[in-house]
Amino acid sequence: MRIGVVGGGEFGRGLATTSARAGHEVLLWSRRGGDLQVPRVKVTGSVEDLADRQLIFLAVPSPHVTDTARHLGPTMNGEHVLVHVSRGLVGEQLETLSHVLRSETPCRRVGALGGPLMARALTADEPCGVILGTRFPEVEEAVRAALDAPTIRIERTDDILGVEISSALVGLIALGTGYALGHGATPDTLALYVTRGAREAVRVVTALGGRPETFSGLAGFGDLVAAVAGDGRPEIRLGMALAKGLDLDRAGVEAGAYIEGVFIARRVANFAKRAGIRTPIAGVMADVVDGTIRGKDAIAALSVSL
Amino acid sequence: MKLGSLWKRPFRLPHLASRPPRPGDPLIYSFNNHRDAVIAEVTERVVHAHQGDPAHLERILNDAAMHETRRLQAQGDSEAAESLSFWSNLYRRVARLSDSEKRRMLRRIVSRMAQGVAGNFDPRVHALAERAAPKMLTGIMNPTFLPTELAGTGSHLDMLVRAEGPLESLRRLSNRGTLVFVPTHSSNLDSVVLGYALARAGLPPLMYGAGKNLFSNPVLSFFMHNLGAYQVDRRVQAQLYKEVLKAYACVVIEKGFHSLFFPGGTRSRSNQVENRLKLGLAGSAVEAFSRRQVRGDGRPVWFVPTTINYDLVLEAESLIEDHLREKGKARYIIEDDESSQLDRWIAFLRKLVGLSSACVIRFGSPIDPFGNSVDDIGQSIGPQGHVVDPVTYVSRNGTPELNAERDRAYTQDLAETIVDRFRRNTVIMPTQLVAHVLYRHLVQATPGMDVFGRVRERGTITMGWEELEQEVGNVRDAIVGLEERHELRIQNEIRTARPNAIVHRALEVWNGYHTHAAARVTQAEVVIEDPSLTLYYQNRLAPWAEQLADDGHVAAAREIQLEGRR
Repeated sequence: MRIGVVGGGEFGRGLATTSARAGHEVLLWSRRGGDLQVPRVKVTGSVEDLADRQLIFLAVPSPHVTDTARHLGPTMNGEHVLVHVSRGLVGEQLETLSHVLRSETPCRRVGALGGPLMARALTADEPCGVILGTRFPEVEEAVRAALDAPTIRIERTDDILGVEISSALVGLIALGTGYALGHGATPDTLALYVTRGAREAVRVVTALGGRPETFSGLAGFGDLVAAVAGDGRPEIRLGMALAKGLDLDRAGVEAGAYIEGVFIARRVANFAKRAGIRTPIAGVMADVVDGTIRGKDAIAALSVSL
Repeated sequence: MKLGSLWKRPFRLPHLASRPPRPGDPLIYSFNNHRDAVIAEVTERVVHAHQGDPAHLERILNDAAMHETRRLQAQGDSEAAESLSFWSNLYRRVARLSDSEKRRMLRRIVSRMAQGVAGNFDPRVHALAERAAPKMLTGIMNPTFLPTELAGTGSHLDMLVRAEGPLESLRRLSNRGTLVFVPTHSSNLDSVVLGYALARAGLPPLMYGAGKNLFSNPVLSFFMHNLGAYQVDRRVQAQLYKEVLKAYACVVIEKGFHSLFFPGGTRSRSNQVENRLKLGLAGSAVEAFSRRQVRGDGRPVWFVPTTINYDLVLEAESLIEDHLREKGKARYIIEDDESSQLDRWIAFLRKLVGLSSACVIRFGSPIDPFGNSVDDIGQSIGPQGHVVDPVTYVSRNGTPELNAERDRAYTQDLAETIVDRFRRNTVIMPTQLVAHVLYRHLVQATPGMDVFGRVRERGTITMGWEELEQEVGNVRDAIVGLEERHELRIQNEIRTARPNAIVHRALEVWNGYHTHAAARVTQAEVVIEDPSLTLYYQNRLAPWAEQLADDGHVAAAREIQLEGRR
């Protein structure tokens, strides 16, 4: 299969490596172009080169997905299969990224990868699992072929919306987990917080039109366990940096990554108000990010009160 | 044969004076020549789908026999008796039939179902309806108009029903591909006014499925039978019957007959614009496109999301009552609503005399089966304005192929797009605007009360005339703001009208038709007389309530919006 990868970050390179190992011809498009040192993977700086790809992985941070999709749109047609791995929801209406792909490109055969899949696991050949959300059988077929490796378990659901929302909300809960850890929360406090967070996430998933059982699978629960168990994800690092009392900018520098959880907290809380559901944790995390609540007060609010 | 049953059979004009075909006739004019081929193709397809596993075949026959026996026993009239013995017999014997007998039985049943569904089209009846219907309707509305109507070419209906949208482009596209109109559904009048608006706009007549109950009136039945309607008997539960309906819709579109579906399935009980669609028939249209491409027939299929907006709804009272009684579980058939009562029709039509644009039909821009917009010459246009070939959506490695699961996924995406287009093309009418302001006032006056409590507040809540005018003006301006962002539409007449005139118009429309007017005037106040009706008319605006509210009304608006989602 001819596979394209958009994004030269860690995740993009991981997907490119795995696909090339499975015997596919892989072309990676990166704005920077040049040599990314991925074995057996060609790199291009021009988007038109992706026209002959059958499957394209989109591995760019969620704030760049809209621009990337616009850029990609004119090169695509109805036959292309587009699969993104970004965590995030766009705008006040919490639009999913697959929705962005469908409105900015002519592609309809889209999918979203979620769950506890880390770039490191892809390249290091460790056993790992991933959930693919798509309504299209040909998307599943393409992804299974692309990531065909004895160490990767691929599950599928047609609830693509549920997968995307779950991924974004796990990011938010992980941010709070890092914050609580930074304040020295004990495992039982943490368990209380995470459980409440999961319950809240299910309410949001349902209100946005996803299915609650999607959150109970790899997309939500599985991903959350990996985060809490310490798979080294940036949301935890950022939460810990915030717990040190750093402001958002400095915490971001310390965590060393862009983190979606920070930016959806307030929007989730606002949405919940409109939808008439309770999301106390999103509210507290939004306040934490804004710096209006701190320390033990925040931990108490996250786990016990509210 | 009993006389009564004569009416139940399709009544057709004799072939003697058949109209010679002319070049440029819409394809539907020759439908009767295609009729047998359509039935044969439908039969073939449904039969083919059940070849193979004999156990499966037995299940499907058993399902049909069980459901039909049950239904006909419950129906218990002479019509039922005719076929009851056939089905109960089959129900008893199905397990003992040999495989080849089962297959023969399947073919016989499917073919009979397809014949029962199949429509008819008679150009002579179409011409008659086109000429006479506006005059008849106007005559009912006000007999004094009749002489001028019959003499002149214009019609008061022209004033009453307004069609908006890209009519020129639709006319052109109707010659290049197959159009599938998918309108919102509020009233049994919908297919009548839509048919009228299409004819007046120079658009071809459509094939459409109509509930069998609409065929029970002999006059209506005559027209339906000869104007391209096919029969859908909603009482029939058998799986096979549903398959026949879907295959019928698919074959008809595949052969190039422009079609009409109400994708909401049933009239909106709450008066909200449909936000969930029944996917079955829209799915048939997507499948029709795929099958054409696989056959190498590149003619496109396009969808036209359409909204039908009424200032006054014939069946408003029955619909909202049903909505409140069975919240969330709309029934398909209301046996005895206003649309089956002649005096209500007359009262309704009389009420509308002299009102301009009491019904606005807004045709949205056409889209291809994958939600892309379509330009004037029928090319699909991607989001960045470049041309996309629709055949790529059903192709793999450059070759078109059939795939039912894929087409179901496309249909779900398409449904989302249609819902979005419905919202953007909703035209807010004066009664809806005024009802929204009144209902919001009621909600504000009854904090925390549920909808059932609120609709019991008959005549207890009043609103000062000045305040009402003020807020109608504010909400109207907010709607105009949404219109500028292409999120919603407003009736032309009230875009710039004085709020006072808008309120008067709404009160005038309600007064004298409904059992109780939604609201009436006393001195300097307006009394909410029938909160259910107020709710019904305002529901059209429920999804935008919060966006239309100023700070003082946000809480009430949010309640309305939440209530509307349930």
